[in-house]
Amino acid sequence: MRPVRLRRAVALAAATVSIVGLVACSTTTGGSSTGGAVAQELAVAVWTPIENLDPHGASGMDNGTQVAAKAIFSPLLRTKGKGQFEGVLAESWQANEDATEWTFTLREDVTFSDGTPVTSADVVASFERVLALKGAMAGNYAGHNAKESGADKVVITSKDPDPALLGKLITFYVTPAAHQDGDWSKPIGSGPFVVERFTPGQSLVLAPNPGHWRGKPALNRLELRSVQEMAARMTALKTGEVDMTWVVPDDQLAGLKGNTDLVVEKDSGSGVITMWMNGSEKGLKEAAVRRALWQAVDFATIIKSLFPETGSVANSVVTPNVLGYAPQTPVTYDPAAAKKALDDAGWDYDQKIQMQFSQPQFQQFADAVASDLAKIGVKAEPTQKEAAVFLQDLLALKWDLNIQQLGTAGFDAATNLGRLYTCAAKRTGYCNPDLDKLLNQAGSTSDNAKRQELYGQANKIIWDDAVGMYPMFVRNLYVRNKSVQGLTIPPDLTPDFSTVRIGNGTS
Amino acid sequence: MSAITARPRLWPVRLRSTPTVAAVATVVLAVYLVVGLIGPLLIAYDPVATSVADRLLPIGAVRSDGTVALLGTDGAGRDMLGQLVYGARTSIIIGISVVAACLAVGLAFGTLAGYLAGWTDVAISRLIDILMAFPGILLAIVIAGLFDRSMLVVVLALSVAGWVGFARLARGLTLSLRERPYVDAARLIGVPTPVVIVRHVVPFVIGPVTALATTEFAGAVLSEAGLSFLGLGLPSATVSWGQVIANGKDYLDTAWWISALPGLALTGLVVSTGLLGDHLTQRLGTSR
Repeated sequence: MRPVRLRRAVALAAATVSIVGLVACSTTTGGSSTGGAVAQELAVAVWTPIENLDPHGASGMDNGTQVAAKAIFSPLLRTKGKGQFEGVLAESWQANEDATEWTFTLREDVTFSDGTPVTSADVVASFERVLALKGAMAGNYAGHNAKESGADKVVITSKDPDPALLGKLITFYVTPAAHQDGDWSKPIGSGPFVVERFTPGQSLVLAPNPGHWRGKPALNRLELRSVQEMAARMTALKTGEVDMTWVVPDDQLAGLKGNTDLVVEKDSGSGVITMWMNGSEKGLKEAAVRRALWQAVDFATIIKSLFPETGSVANSVVTPNVLGYAPQTPVTYDPAAAKKALDDAGWDYDQKIQMQFSQPQFQQFADAVASDLAKIGVKAEPTQKEAAVFLQDLLALKWDLNIQQLGTAGFDAATNLGRLYTCAAKRTGYCNPDLDKLLNQAGSTSDNAKRQELYGQANKIIWDDAVGMYPMFVRNLYVRNKSVQGLTIPPDLTPDFSTVRIGNGTS
Repeated sequence: MSAITARPRLWPVRLRSTPTVAAVATVVLAVYLVVGLIGPLLIAYDPVATSVADRLLPIGAVRSDGTVALLGTDGAGRDMLGQLVYGARTSIIIGISVVAACLAVGLAFGTLAGYLAGWTDVAISRLIDILMAFPGILLAIVIAGLFDRSMLVVVLALSVAGWVGFARLARGLTLSLRERPYVDAARLIGVPTPVVIVRHVVPFVIGPVTALATTEFAGAVLSEAGLSFLGLGLPSATVSWGQVIANGKDYLDTAWWISALPGLALTGLVVSTGLLGDHLTQRLGTSR
């Protein structure tokens, strides 16, 4: 008996020692605050998985791809807020009188990570690739055309005046003309980082680009990890497996509060919860009916309970930081008036409204909306659909009510109102010639004050006719370890890691 | 007979299924049945109605309208007690429907294959082999994913592969039964085949098949919860424990009761059904 016990004790001791050893190793390699230099390594959990690094293709507008693209490639310019832009590859730009021709002058000192300089030929080839692939981004450039004008000038022309072109170009990334058809698992770019290893849907490991024109970034290693399960993402944040993540739901904050190493920040937000009601459906054709349904839901209470940190009651179709924002009269909760309006319109209380959404964060929200509608006898069924099916049904107008969080790219209503609400777009089931005229005018005017006024009027029509319910402005939560420093919270959910460095965790 | 003893157990340790254990399991099951059948009549619960002001209340907290949430509320403010009780009813209905469908199909195919032998047996046996080679839950996921969510689809999806166990057992038993002298005698005096099967074979197959039915019931309940957890099961207007567990998975460290309570309820139901099934197998299975 005795020798066996002894052997077991020795084994146990050996195991303990090796575990302690492992832990010690991991703390040294993980970069603890002891000693002078801190390892400049950052692991972040991205909001949506990075499935593809091709910034021009079908997934070009996905948040995952956009985040990766911002690190690997360079755009012509980037936004600094409403109507303000800053050159990246472009040093300066100039539009002609009616905004049908834009000339961009490129910086001379920018090279790709393989050493070749970025020229106008690369810009034109990338632009043509976007158009040829007909991906999510191509819709922004209907009737556009890019051509070289010497090695450092690019001219983008459009059939119709396009005063909002700058806003659209912030998601357009330039890749080398020589590698357009190459392998997109390790693309070459001119951004602050270069790809070291990419596993689609799982992880993207980046190394700094020493030849970056703004200087080599401080981080020696950046890993963008896809952690899909919310609970796992929060655990990874708490244990220090990742140091940062964004779009954290309100409900998860309670679990993070006790952790003094974590810092919570909010972006300025450009998202609006948009719940289109399909105007081509029989029951929802009348604006009075749609307004009544909107009135029947107590959004103020729902927002206060479900989204106390990130939500606020909306008063416009677009957020205040967007060109084209105009405050509207809030729709107040009044179930009695809603019921009366529905009765007057001859609403069929037996029909069931299908509320479709794809992101799980809308589940409780949709349940709460359905609950309020049920109180006045309207039957609504929240239906969560798989992302691809959701998109397909969305475009085919196969829904009664649809829940999305809509952002406004480039902080210009042209990419939201102008793109989605025309009769020709066939996105909402709503068609109004007067609105079409306004949007057309706004889309082809180069005077920003005039455009603001026109989009303001369009805003009012959309709001008053209740093309959808616009209950809530959304801001997004960023949670980072306090050792992550130098991060500017972006307004568009795509953080820029080139300015980030790892401190010793004291500030 | 070997089909019975070789069946994998739900209970990992070979717990001797004493009459006491079986009695306790039966009592627990009876409680579930009573809760599932009578509970919904006593407790009002509307799965569509939410009360966001009372969300994430812990066990025993008082709601804004003064009532007590005995088992707390979930992320949309729905009562947990109501969800447990209505979920019990859903689980029992699904379990019984699936077992009934599987038992009917399995018994019919199994006895026919065993009694008629020849090509009928070959065809049915190969079909069984094919279905056995395919993971049942995967097949259920595919079927449930193809159609809109409804109770009928869930029952169908779980039954498609579920009848195989019954058919194999019934076939094995029938193979030996058809050689018995009294079956031969019946055949010789000209009793028609259908009557021979129904009167002289099926009554002796029923016992072991019933024992199998209890464990299949546990499997069906678990699979339904699995499908609903994945969002492929019942429509959101029907309460399902699997769905409630899924709803609570983001709140494990702040509101553990949302996932834990239906999880415990599910465990209790499945384990006691398994224990009772083991007991029945020992009694009804070895008597032959």
